[in-house]
Amino acid sequence: MSFLEYVDRNSDRIAFLTVQHVEVVLLSVAIAAVIGVGLGLATERAPRVRRALLAVTGTLLTIPSFALFGLLIPVLGLGLAPTVVTLTVYAVFPILRNTVTGLETVDPAVIDASRGMGLGSRQRLMLVRLPLAWPVILNGIRVATIMVVAIAAIGAAVRGPGLGELIFRGLSRIGGANAFNEAMSGVAGVVLVALTLDLLFVLIGRLTTPRGLHD
Amino acid sequence: MTDPTPSTPPPDVMIRLEGLAKRYPGQSADAVSALSMDIRRGEFVVFVGPSGCGKTTTLRMINRLVEPSAGRIWIDGEDVTDVDPDRLRRRIGYVIQQIGLIPHMTVAQNVGLVPRLLGWDKARIRDRVDELLDLVGLDPAVFRDRYPKQLSGGQQQRVGVARALAGDPPVMLMDEPFGAIDPITRDRLQDEFLKLQERIRKTIVFVTHDIDEALKLGDRIAIFGEGSRLAQFATPLEILSAPADDYVRSFVGSGAAIRRLGLLRVADIPGGGTPPSDGAVRVTEDHTVYAALEKMLESGTDRMVVGGNGRGERSLTLRDLLLAAARAKGEPR
Ligand SMILES: Nc1ncnc2c1ncn2[C@@H]1O[C@H](COP(=O)(O)OP(=O)(O)OP(=O)(O)O)[C@@H](O)[C@H]1O
Ligand SMILES: [Mg+2]
Repeated sequence: MSFLEYVDRNSDRIAFLTVQHVEVVLLSVAIAAVIGVGLGLATERAPRVRRALLAVTGTLLTIPSFALFGLLIPVLGLGLAPTVVTLTVYAVFPILRNTVTGLETVDPAVIDASRGMGLGSRQRLMLVRLPLAWPVILNGIRVATIMVVAIAAIGAAVRGPGLGELIFRGLSRIGGANAFNEAMSGVAGVVLVALTLDLLFVLIGRLTTPRGLHD
Repeated sequence: MTDPTPSTPPPDVMIRLEGLAKRYPGQSADAVSALSMDIRRGEFVVFVGPSGCGKTTTLRMINRLVEPSAGRIWIDGEDVTDVDPDRLRRRIGYVIQQIGLIPHMTVAQNVGLVPRLLGWDKARIRDRVDELLDLVGLDPAVFRDRYPKQLSGGQQQRVGVARALAGDPPVMLMDEPFGAIDPITRDRLQDEFLKLQERIRKTIVFVTHDIDEALKLGDRIAIFGEGSRLAQFATPLEILSAPADDYVRSFVGSGAAIRRLGLLRVADIPGGGTPPSDGAVRVTEDHTVYAALEKMLESGTDRMVVGGNGRGERSLTLRDLLLAAARAKGEPR
């Protein structure tokens, strides 16, 4: 059976797993966005804590994902929970880092002028700093998403949802009937999901970047 | 309001600084030390001095962007040394040197931001924005919906001034607002700003490096020396005619006598005979003595006829001008 034939015959299952994959990625990134942006804002007056957080979340990225999934089994068991937690852990760093960078690179003259006009720190944040930092923060979310799409495939090792199942099952019985096609369909699905989400973020970026910031 | 304390300034004083000082953390010397001055209502005061002498620091203590280490600040009879800084700042227009327009807001949103914070309704804000853009010479129809980066440097500077004026603050602080502009545009902006000030009569504190800009704009000029020493605080004419010390003399530079002519108006010169019928150049009372002299030299005559301002006509000679200019000692313009 050719690859395309395989895909055609199994399209229901592949589509189901693809949707699952996207869902778990978006859920994890959403949680990570809340945590990352939240930590970025919460540590504004605590530069040391902020540096420590960046170091820690950055270091977590270096743990091989396969190991992290496995290490969480005793705590969270199998399935959705360890997958979401692991993906969230990975996604926090790029979002936190870009939140910090985005806020720090707002032109100091603009902040100074806003202070001079009598904007309080909350108003400065909501009216001036966050809108200006937004494109950078959004880019952090985009990077996190693309990264996590690939990592989510490994989640199948702990029976997590998504396209990883195709890859793991295919690889575990390689040489068997359609084993290679099954693994390939998983890989292709992951790449396709990554590309689609990337495009989606470009679009969101276009739509949500304030007009005055476009080149 | 509490009873006036002994140091409460009289009603014609808009800004009083009393023993104002600032030492930044970790510095061994004061950036500003024990500065006292009164600035009158509607007065245009210019701070000049060498780089690092504390002009910006002083300006920023007035709206409490920098907290003073010592001393007190009164604005409009109220001791504002300890009031809520955000509320204070909405009553004080501030133009920073780097302009600092908010890039994701349109010109109208930038100018309308303070009125919005003050809780004005939309229609009133819109009218105010258009009025202010007109005031600073920008056509609202063309500019209100532009973003800052779609403006030239000079246009941004004007929007910065309009924005500072938006809440109709009685006090304006301007830190080198025309600093980044080419000399010709700068000259025009200065002229426009002087005309504007004649209409709006704000109390203005204006910082510049440029002594000529100070002489042209200021009702009074504060010349600072190193370590924020206030070397002289006087009218432009006084500074040119009677510099307080060698420091001021060297700061003002050469040609003081000639530059003074640019500050005197023909109207300031008394006397004059009945007009002759022939050969004299015609000027108005509003001309500067400098401009009148230039006209006389151009046409090679030593007489001029002054007309206008309902005073009738009179004639002045070259000698009248020079004597008067030499005598002038610091009368207000
Ligand atoms: N935030 C700060 N922390 C520490 N020192 C400062 C700070 N701001 C200014 N200073 C110092 O205080 C002194 C006065 O600075 P200020 O900016 O008021 O000078 P200035 O007269 O405005 O100079 P310029 O004409 O260059 O703008 C300088 O020696 C400067 O280095
Ligand atoms: Mg300065």
